[in-house]
Amino acid sequence: MAILSTPRSQVDLVGKGRPLREHLFRIALLSSLAIALIFLALLLAYTLTEGWPRLDSRLWENFPSVRRPETAGVLSGITGTLWIIGLTALMALPTGVLAAIYLEEYADNTRWYNRLIELNIANLAAVPSIVYGILGLGIIARWLDFGFTVMTGAVTISLLVLPIVIISAREAIRAVPPSIREGSLALGATQWQTIYRQVLPASIPGIATGSILALSRAIGEAAPFLMLGAATLVRFNPDGVWSSFTVLPLQIYNLISQSREEFHILAAAAIVVLLAILLLMNSLAIWLRNRYQKRW
Amino acid sequence: MTQPNVTLRGPDVPNTPGSLDPVFTVEDLSVFYGDYEAVRNVDMMIGRREITAMIGPSGCGKSTVLRCFNRMNDLIPGAHIKGKILYHEEDLYGDHVDPIEVRRRIGMVFQKPNPFPKPIYDNVAYGPRVNGIKKNMDSIVEEALQKAALWDEVKDKLKQNALSLSGGQQQRLCIARAIAVKPEVILMDEPCSALDPIATTKIEDLMQELRQEYTILIVTHNMQQAARVSDRTAFFTADVDDAGVRHGRLVEFDQTTRIFTKPSDKRTEDYITGRFG
Ligand SMILES: Nc1ncnc2c1ncn2[C@@H]1O[C@H](COP(=O)(O)OP(=O)(O)OP(=O)(O)O)[C@@H](O)[C@H]1O
Ligand SMILES: [Mg+2]
Repeated sequence: MAILSTPRSQVDLVGKGRPLREHLFRIALLSSLAIALIFLALLLAYTLTEGWPRLDSRLWENFPSVRRPETAGVLSGITGTLWIIGLTALMALPTGVLAAIYLEEYADNTRWYNRLIELNIANLAAVPSIVYGILGLGIIARWLDFGFTVMTGAVTISLLVLPIVIISAREAIRAVPPSIREGSLALGATQWQTIYRQVLPASIPGIATGSILALSRAIGEAAPFLMLGAATLVRFNPDGVWSSFTVLPLQIYNLISQSREEFHILAAAAIVVLLAILLLMNSLAIWLRNRYQKRW
Repeated sequence: MTQPNVTLRGPDVPNTPGSLDPVFTVEDLSVFYGDYEAVRNVDMMIGRREITAMIGPSGCGKSTVLRCFNRMNDLIPGAHIKGKILYHEEDLYGDHVDPIEVRRRIGMVFQKPNPFPKPIYDNVAYGPRVNGIKKNMDSIVEEALQKAALWDEVKDKLKQNALSLSGGQQQRLCIARAIAVKPEVILMDEPCSALDPIATTKIEDLMQELRQEYTILIVTHNMQQAARVSDRTAFFTADVDDAGVRHGRLVEFDQTTRIFTKPSDKRTEDYITGRFG
């Protein structure tokens, strides 16, 4: 009898619907995303339409010229940028990864000097790029007497991206579970074998992604090169690390400062080229990540 | 006294305490993490080709002691020991002892299966490879997998990623990986705690096979498991000292049959009959 007298609906599953707050929060999230994406799309569309008339082979087959905008191009900027990024990758990536390995795998972070190093790397990553330009000018170009060469630019940019490479590599290395290290060491592997055969392969996707993103950031830099006093009207491609050079962002900056409208169109077209290089690099990062993830 | 409902190893216990042939002799061992003395004054002996179980409540220092035998504690900053562990008369913590060499001879299986994210074959071949062995890798891998009772299950998919195996298979792979370096001793820290009863039975059977050739130390929370598989049992517990600090200590170390039938210490009896705490 007791069972029958129990009210039928003691369990109320209907609920009170989602409170207004939940909805507002979702809307706030979505609109933030929308704002970011819309502005990006606008920017892209604007640059593309603006630069469209000059987005042809003249752009990457010709050197800059102030007199004849119809045949002017940014070839020396493209090659200069590629040289700088290539050399920077060669210098900054191994150094950054090794530094990250030291900090993650060897450094005893209960020691004050190791903590000081860590803190300062984080600080360095936040230093404005123009400061690196001053450093490059004062120390590398003048004091070391490297002059205004590809080498000077690449060393400066290496210093600029190094903290970011170190930080992202450390994160990737830290993401490798300690159980993998223990498993390897317990089999009689040395610390270096463990790092080389287990930790590094496992963290390569993360390291690659972080490094490429750091390099992408460097590609867009104009400020340090302005400081270094790199020329813009360079009418030849670099033929080595001791050659003088220019980079795309500097050329874009220079084109925009010209008064004639044709040069502005050219600048927009050059921006599209710069974006294309960036996109290519980011796709490389994604490809690398996926490829290595699939492997294991 | 209520007897725990366990199957005991009968009269086939191979060694009487007097005939123990020690691989390890632990003398007055204390283990520290920095200033904290986690385990105090342990004396015990590990017999050759025996299975020694270490039991006791959580936090009493079983893993800490176990990790001293292959010097894994060296990897923890600030960890150090007092006292001695002799490995065949050799001081395991002597000045000239290379921990790498120690770990090659004394293998370890962890609580959570931790296969490398690589093919099954490479997992087993890893130990020999880092130790400089290049020849006959196929037969080394096969032999290790055979011994770990995993060969039949994986022989057709050696190239497959080890992470695609089930938990129990992964743990046997970790055992195979340890065996492949041909160690003398295998340390196991709760090797079955992440496994279901069937996988656990497989590992226990495997341990019985392995004890023909290897000396095994196993930490376990499962009293029945200790009773089923081990020849000797060490019971640890934690005491609080005058300053209110907890220190692990060895309460009783004896043949497993004795520990589970007539323990000489009240605390052991309480623990194995479930009246602890
Ligand atoms: N890396 C470490 N640093 C500092 N203290 C530690 C460390 N590892 C363990 N301890 C401490 O040492 C004591 C013993 O820990 P241990 O892991 O050996 O216990 P256990 O008997 O294995 O416990 P469980 O059964 O839960 O695994 C605990 O008080 C623990 O807090
Ligand atoms: Mg433990």
